[in-house]
Amino acid sequence: MTREEQRQIKKAREREERRKRQEAWEAARGPMDIPFLLLALMLLVIGLIMLLSASFPSAQAHKSSNYDPLYYFKRQAMFAGAGLVAMFWVSKINYERFRGLARLALIVSIALLVLVLIPGLGITRNGATRWLGIPGQAVVQFQPSEIAKLGVIVYFAESISKKREKMRSFREGFLPHFILLCVVAGLTLIEPHFSGALLIAGMGAAMMVVGGIHWGWIAAGVGGLCGGGYLMLFTDLMEKIGYNASRIAVWKDPFGGDLEFQRNQAWQVIQSLITVGSGGLLGVGLGKSRQKFMFLPEEHNDFIFAVVFEELGLVGAGLIMLIFALLVLRGFWLAIHARDRFGSLMVVGVTVQIALQTFLNIAVVTNFLPATGISLPFFSYGGTALSLQLVEIGIVLSVSRQIPAPKAG
Amino acid sequence: MLKNSQQKQGSGGKKRKIMQSSRLAKLMIQRRTLALMLVFGVAAFLALFAQAYDLAINQHDEMKQRAANQQMRSTVISASRGSILDRNGTILAMSASADTVFLDPRAIESRAAELETARAKAVVAGVKEGEKLPVSGQEYRDLIAVNLARILELDEETVRDKMSKTNTAYQILKRRVEKTVGDQVREFITTNDTGSSIQGVHLETDSKRYYPYSSLASHVIGFLDADNHGAYGLEALYDEELEGSTGLTVTAKDGNGSEIMFQYEQYYDAEDGHSLQLTLDSTIQYYVERGLEDMIAKYGAKNGAAGVVMDPKSGAILAIAASPTYDVNAHREIYDSKLQEELAKVDEENPPAPDQEHSDAYREKLGELQLKQWRNKAVNDTYEPGSTAKILTLSMALEEGAVNPSSTFDCSGSVTISDYTIRCSNHSGHGHQVLKEAVGNSCNPAFISIGLAMGTDRFYDYMKDFGLMDKTGVDLQGDVGGIFSTREAFTTLDLACYAFGQNFNVTPLQLITAQAACINGGYLYQPHVVDKELDSDGNVVKQHDATPVRQVISEETSATVREMLEYVVSSGTGRNGQVAGYRVGGKTGTADKRGTKDPATNPQGDIVVSFLSFAPADDPQVIMLLTLDTPRRDTGTYPSGGNMVAPTASAVMGDILSYLGIPPQYTEDTQTAAEGAVPYVVDMSKEEAAAKLAEYGFTSYRTVGDGAAVTDQTPSGGAIVPTGAEIILYMGAEKSDAPCKVPNVIGLSAADANRKLTDAGLIMKAAGASGSGVKAISQSVGQGAEVAAGTVITVQMGQTSNRAD
Repeated sequence: MTREEQRQIKKAREREERRKRQEAWEAARGPMDIPFLLLALMLLVIGLIMLLSASFPSAQAHKSSNYDPLYYFKRQAMFAGAGLVAMFWVSKINYERFRGLARLALIVSIALLVLVLIPGLGITRNGATRWLGIPGQAVVQFQPSEIAKLGVIVYFAESISKKREKMRSFREGFLPHFILLCVVAGLTLIEPHFSGALLIAGMGAAMMVVGGIHWGWIAAGVGGLCGGGYLMLFTDLMEKIGYNASRIAVWKDPFGGDLEFQRNQAWQVIQSLITVGSGGLLGVGLGKSRQKFMFLPEEHNDFIFAVVFEELGLVGAGLIMLIFALLVLRGFWLAIHARDRFGSLMVVGVTVQIALQTFLNIAVVTNFLPATGISLPFFSYGGTALSLQLVEIGIVLSVSRQIPAPKAG
Repeated sequence: MLKNSQQKQGSGGKKRKIMQSSRLAKLMIQRRTLALMLVFGVAAFLALFAQAYDLAINQHDEMKQRAANQQMRSTVISASRGSILDRNGTILAMSASADTVFLDPRAIESRAAELETARAKAVVAGVKEGEKLPVSGQEYRDLIAVNLARILELDEETVRDKMSKTNTAYQILKRRVEKTVGDQVREFITTNDTGSSIQGVHLETDSKRYYPYSSLASHVIGFLDADNHGAYGLEALYDEELEGSTGLTVTAKDGNGSEIMFQYEQYYDAEDGHSLQLTLDSTIQYYVERGLEDMIAKYGAKNGAAGVVMDPKSGAILAIAASPTYDVNAHREIYDSKLQEELAKVDEENPPAPDQEHSDAYREKLGELQLKQWRNKAVNDTYEPGSTAKILTLSMALEEGAVNPSSTFDCSGSVTISDYTIRCSNHSGHGHQVLKEAVGNSCNPAFISIGLAMGTDRFYDYMKDFGLMDKTGVDLQGDVGGIFSTREAFTTLDLACYAFGQNFNVTPLQLITAQAACINGGYLYQPHVVDKELDSDGNVVKQHDATPVRQVISEETSATVREMLEYVVSSGTGRNGQVAGYRVGGKTGTADKRGTKDPATNPQGDIVVSFLSFAPADDPQVIMLLTLDTPRRDTGTYPSGGNMVAPTASAVMGDILSYLGIPPQYTEDTQTAAEGAVPYVVDMSKEEAAAKLAEYGFTSYRTVGDGAAVTDQTPSGGAIVPTGAEIILYMGAEKSDAPCKVPNVIGLSAADANRKLTDAGLIMKAAGASGSGVKAISQSVGQGAEVAAGTVITVQMGQTSNRAD
């Protein structure tokens, strides 16, 4: 091969690359999906307002928040601002460039998950070692499991989108992703962070399903979920294997049992039910919750939606649930219309994560499912989580920019 | 599908193949995403909404209630219970705040556990110098038990017992302790050896009822139960009015129990209970109760005694008393000494089981005696009235013209009706008598013929009209009606017996109500004890006026009846009921109790002796009925109303009349009873002093010493003594302050008694009957007692007959 030939080939390759880059650039310059953006912004704003309402009594009452009623709100708003900036920045990026980051993201995620388990590095709160960062400096603390969610989304999207029809096979499609999921979810589970593991597993599984694994696995998964759920909730299996089954007893009948049971194990659920139920159809009015005055635990956190029910009633909370549902539906709509499988899969991952988290949170608040500590996207207090949620929204928006405009006619 | 398409494509280009597979994979993603969309975007939210709907709508009421229960703190503002006052405003019952002390054993236990943990930690960490080791859990319990037992005067064991019920949160230690004791408990809670306040010991503000006069009018007032609700008497009957309504403050609180100032708050004002002002006069009540006591002390009363004083013109009850009685402040304890003896005897005879304080027999007896002492005999129990009921027979017969004042009767000592011989109390017969004398003699045969002249129907009608067959309608508990034969079964023999007051039963209150109608102009009033209800500011909320039921006899008849009854006291069987200076009317009664005769043990049978009197006879202001149920026969006094009850009635009536300020009218006969204030005559000459004394009605004096002027006098100036008293003027001689010994004057005539007492340096005040044959039957200070010179000794004059009346 002559130099000229080599040069020409190189030039052609460069031209080709430039063309592709140009093409991608052109594609990435399309408009972002306004409905999805608006729904997300609505939830963010409502979430902030509700956080302010729910958090001020306890913020005012405790030293840990400097007796400042706006303590939680101010910090959350700060992270929301930072998150919004990140969201718009991410939405400008051509998501195809994330392909290259996929492997790295996964490795970093797993590394952080391992790191947090090393004694002395992870920060422990309430018996769970979930945080990394500088002890005592809450601003720079974060949960590796939050990062891992993102890592899994990007890596799975990249990996599954490459495998195409091979996804149907056991060895190349199912097994590697399954093992990977087991590793990441397993690491999260031993922190322990049950709900985090559940989310990662659910999200990964959903991406695998969408990615085209054999329907037999889907059937097996659904069957396993149902069977496992049945064994856990309706038999005494958990008791037999030594698990403290009180959560299940609480779920079945929170007001049953003696006073001690109601005061201790069932307290949180009882308070949540009272909070939700006492709101009624129209609620007691924004800001007028009484349950947030040290009755409802975690009122600005996992149980913030109970306060929403109390203050805004079934109607208000129902409307917020509708916004969540519309966001989820719009997310899936974007996934269906995405330019390529990579984009679709990423959007599916993000959407499933938001949907699953929302569902589990409200299910716990209404005692539809046994209690587990799971936060509500956009509402619950938590800086890293909120910022990362906005980054994920940014990814979806980025994908939405490359959706080809519908052909006229 | 993929295989097929691959086969179809056959040897198509690699690029096409890739594009094809890519397109199919995308289709797969789209289809499966659509499925996820339905699951996560629709189904999940629908399920959540259904669950939320169930909570917020279906369970809303329950959850709202639960929320209110934990978010609201309601503080009861107790209303203060109204007082019970007598007609002059003297307080008979009142409430004052008190504290009820209770334990929260659960809180004590958890605090003890906390302290135990803290102590264990401190032991491990080592105690710094100058710091104490936290008390242990056991020390904490001991501290509470020892201190509360000390403050509340309880057994330590009792406190420990209650503290050991650790699965409870409310154990009352002591109810209604006084504020000062409560304050001691409060101080112990805040200041003690643990270094922090005691947890699990609480006080509740409560109120305690005080009865300043203990047993006075106890049957009328009644008492409260453990929860401060009226259990008996007016306290029960007027519980609602007295209690008022408790108020409530509802405030919002947070999960830690602190008040949320800017939230929901609501007040419901407490309304204090009304006070009751009674028609009862505590002074008159006291006279009557003292009178009953005196009688019982002298003659005994196996089945108790009762007394009622009434304003005959309105039915207002001025006093109503019964014996045995009880102390309202300790209504469960046996008050009467006789009953106490009975109980003690049962206690001795029945040793209790080893782990018990008293035997079952004791408890049973205690219960029986409690019921007995709580019974208001004047209202709850009926008796055969005997001769006092002749007033009714007399009144109706005069009204109907069946007899007139000039009717005459012959008494042979017995009369036979329907083959049944009824004997007069005077077995030899009263002989020929006009109506007045027949009443004065309480002659049974005369009254039988009066009854027969009325006829069964008319007689029965009048008994009904006198209200004896109905309840009186008095505002007291346990008002019962009389027991009578039915109209159909009312025979001539019954009529004969009814005519002199036997064979039917009435309550003392029923009887006096009917008798009041006989002397007040003929009007039957509904008796009442509550005059008015007052609110907490003293405004009259409700006035209970006199309630006339009907006119039974005419004013004229009533006037005649009064005259006849005055004769009974002035010249008949009721002479012992006389009150010096007043015109008193009355009627004695000695009634056989049916079914009590037993040839072996009780050949004469039991009796009820009674006396009805009213004064002044021409314009009655008070009417009084005293009864003594089953007096002893071995006192030396022949058991009759005239002998046993009338003297006491005289004393009580005398006290009442002078208390009411009704001016006495002394006749020559009764002059010995007239009283006056001794003038101050020191420094006067003998003549001047004598003149001054005479001016004030004192004619009798003697001098001691021979000085020119009076240096001292006995009685001292200003003392109120009978005007017949001898005044001693000391003319320079030293006034002796040696005590005088009281001599016995019982059985002497008024003149003899006066001489004997005067000789002893004392002054006699004669009370009761006067006239020929009257003798001293009691003296206010017993023989042998030493009193100051010039002390007034009241001597009850009377006449004893040995006939029933």
